[in-house]
Amino acid sequence: MATPQDFTGYKPTWCPGCGNWGIGMAIKMAWSEMGLTPSDVLVAFGIGCSGNMNDFINAYAFHGLHGRAVATAVGMKLAHHTMPVCAVVGDGDCYGEGGNHFMHAARGNHDIKVLVHDNNVYGLTTGQVAPTAEKGQKSKSTPQGIIEVPIDPLSLAITQGATFVAQTFAGDTKHMVETIKQAFQHKGFALVNVLQPCVTFNKKNTYQYYMKQVYRLGSDYDPANKMQALETALQVHDERFPLGVMYKVERPTYHEQSLANPSLSLIKQSRFTNLSVLAQEFE
Amino acid sequence: MQFTWKIGGEAGFGIMTTGLLFAKIAARRGYKTFDFVEYPSLIRGGHNAYDVTVGEDDVTTLKKKIDVLICLNKETFELHSYSLSKDAVILYDRDVFTLPEGIQGVHIPYTQILKEMNGLVIMKNMIALGASLALLDAELTELHDILQQQFGKKGGEIVEQNQKFAQRGYDIIKELYPHLIRPLLKKREVVVKQMVLTGNEAFSYAAVGADCRFYAAYPMTPSSGVLTALAGWSTKTGMVVRHSEDEIAVINSALGASFTGVRSAVGTSGGGFALMVEAISMAGVIEQPIVVFLSQRPGPATGMPTWTEQGDLLFTVHSGHGEFQKIVLAPGDHFEMITMTLKAFDLADIYQMPVIVMSDMLLSESHKSISSDDVDKQITQYKPNRGKLIDSGDGTYKRYEITHDGVSPRLIPGAKGAYYQANSYEHLEDSHTTESAEERIKQVDKRARKWKTYLENDFALPEIIGDTTKAKTILIGWGSTLGVAKEAVKQAGGQLAYVHFSSVYPLHKTKINSLLSSLLDKLILIENNSTAQFGQLLQMETGISIGRKLLRYDGRAITVEQIMQFVGNTN
Repeated sequence: MATPQDFTGYKPTWCPGCGNWGIGMAIKMAWSEMGLTPSDVLVAFGIGCSGNMNDFINAYAFHGLHGRAVATAVGMKLAHHTMPVCAVVGDGDCYGEGGNHFMHAARGNHDIKVLVHDNNVYGLTTGQVAPTAEKGQKSKSTPQGIIEVPIDPLSLAITQGATFVAQTFAGDTKHMVETIKQAFQHKGFALVNVLQPCVTFNKKNTYQYYMKQVYRLGSDYDPANKMQALETALQVHDERFPLGVMYKVERPTYHEQSLANPSLSLIKQSRFTNLSVLAQEFE
Repeated sequence: MQFTWKIGGEAGFGIMTTGLLFAKIAARRGYKTFDFVEYPSLIRGGHNAYDVTVGEDDVTTLKKKIDVLICLNKETFELHSYSLSKDAVILYDRDVFTLPEGIQGVHIPYTQILKEMNGLVIMKNMIALGASLALLDAELTELHDILQQQFGKKGGEIVEQNQKFAQRGYDIIKELYPHLIRPLLKKREVVVKQMVLTGNEAFSYAAVGADCRFYAAYPMTPSSGVLTALAGWSTKTGMVVRHSEDEIAVINSALGASFTGVRSAVGTSGGGFALMVEAISMAGVIEQPIVVFLSQRPGPATGMPTWTEQGDLLFTVHSGHGEFQKIVLAPGDHFEMITMTLKAFDLADIYQMPVIVMSDMLLSESHKSISSDDVDKQITQYKPNRGKLIDSGDGTYKRYEITHDGVSPRLIPGAKGAYYQANSYEHLEDSHTTESAEERIKQVDKRARKWKTYLENDFALPEIIGDTTKAKTILIGWGSTLGVAKEAVKQAGGQLAYVHFSSVYPLHKTKINSLLSSLLDKLILIENNSTAQFGQLLQMETGISIGRKLLRYDGRAITVEQIMQFVGNTN
């Protein structure tokens, strides 16, 4: 069985204290506990501090374009559905530049796990506001404070058809590991929004801040109740951050409904050669 | 001997279906066909017209002068009567409009027939088709067969209904106009089995033949026919065909699919391709095979969606930021679309780079009849060449290994004991990100060697039509101008030749120079754009400059008449 060490690539270049360290460790632990090896996972990385994890985690990875990791993951899953597929992305990456793909991947219930590093800022470009930034947050690109209200990824995912929506916190490794494992075990589109302090550029949403504002969903919480899930998700506007699986339902996945032969991945299937049946329509 | 049959009427009333039926019937009676449809970017309320040119030998372009004109409304006559041949026959309804003196008309009382036989407006097409076939000395056998094949499953009633109206049109000619019947569609003694298909369908068919297993697209005229065809076949072929949320998703998901080792392709037109170019650049650096079908229409921006132009060549050649390698192909006709598409998938795999197959409205949406045997031969002889794709590796595997030919072994993800990244950042041989000056140079040079290898091993010189030593004038062009140029060469009887480029980028400087250097004074460039884009590219890549240019950029295809006039004026 592979250990977290087997998934460990190059030495990370993240700032000391960055939430990415914990998230990276949690991903490796989750995969290891699930019995996977670096040869068993397909990962699409976005661009940003989160995407830089490409060099620090061993897997079959695609370090693509900013905003496009979810689209890439959708293609990977359809073409090789027998492997687990995830997208490791940032908040600007997934909710800003790639917002369209996020929405449509949820609708399609594509069986991909989207792990979003939500730290309210663009770390790699030195701290401009992300779409999740609180209204009024000042940054280099918004010296007077951001005018827009923050995007709410959890309720967005729920209303757009995601079948698994969870939130976890970079300061709680154990919770992250459990949540990531549950996301991988779920069949369908899974969003894991990870609340993550950016120690360099975000002076408000710190570890201390989140420690005070987060709370765990109770054992009596019913994730199949959509309206309750929405109400819970909307608490973000009151700066309350529920942790756990907020919403979970079963629905057939995109690949189950679209593949002509769901028993084998595309690469393993034999070549179609009976073109004469197609030629008839041209005669 | 060629003739042109044309049908026109209001959009949304079956003009296109009827035109295609006519072409297929002609093909089944042993004739060659080429057709083209004119339609506005509307679903209803505009004017549609469908031209079919039929001949005993290969037909490569439309014959402009119309020999039989079917007017389902008055507008058809008003719009198209300027281009009638001397003996043209017009099928029209005298109760709707009258013809000027001296024009040979055939009165078909559509409205009256529909009333008598209690038929839907769309049945006008069948009346017209039956009358057309009678006029050209054809029986209704092939029409009956096709209707049976198309609608048979839906119930015999639809078939019978259509046949009844066709018979009525047929009888009118036989009874009242026997003196106008000409044997232009008399069944030929030898009938070779043919396929009547569009350029889009040719690409689709060959993509299946090439074992493409993933196709994504967002609908955009004139490329949408590929999505329609492949989606329609997907339950049979097993191909994943996905209509994505936008063109950016299209190409990024196709590259994700390609990463897993399956042949993948996307299709679009200029505007959609513009959205894809960041990922084209990525495909270059991650060295991921991808075939892009790009069907041009007149731009800029939304432009003229249902018309034709070769206006995106330089954009395509230069698409994507940074310096990277791609191959651009531009098949000239439907058969070459098949052979080149098969080749495109091989080239993408062999050189691990984007290969763009360019088409345009003219090639994408015109139908041409091609021999089924010729197509079968291409497809059955084809063995996909996956290049350096491998299915096992170990901890020492290097995705971007420095090699002599520039191509590194590509491991299919999932292989046990190994892992790597497709990395859009500059990378080391082992695929990890790097900013090292030395490693950067190594990787840039490695990728550049792939072009050198391609030019030596796989670059195809232009095809020469006619005899360049005897011809007074030599036309030179690329892509879909092949058809009209072939007809011009044929009509000029040795006075003209044509140099047809279909491997348009990169170009082999020395090979092209030795081919063309003795012909420079005779060259005339022909292109369907306003800035002579291929001329510019040729000059940039080979130093060859062509002074005389025939350029057309009104959204219409270049015609034989235009070429003859231009050649006449410049000589």
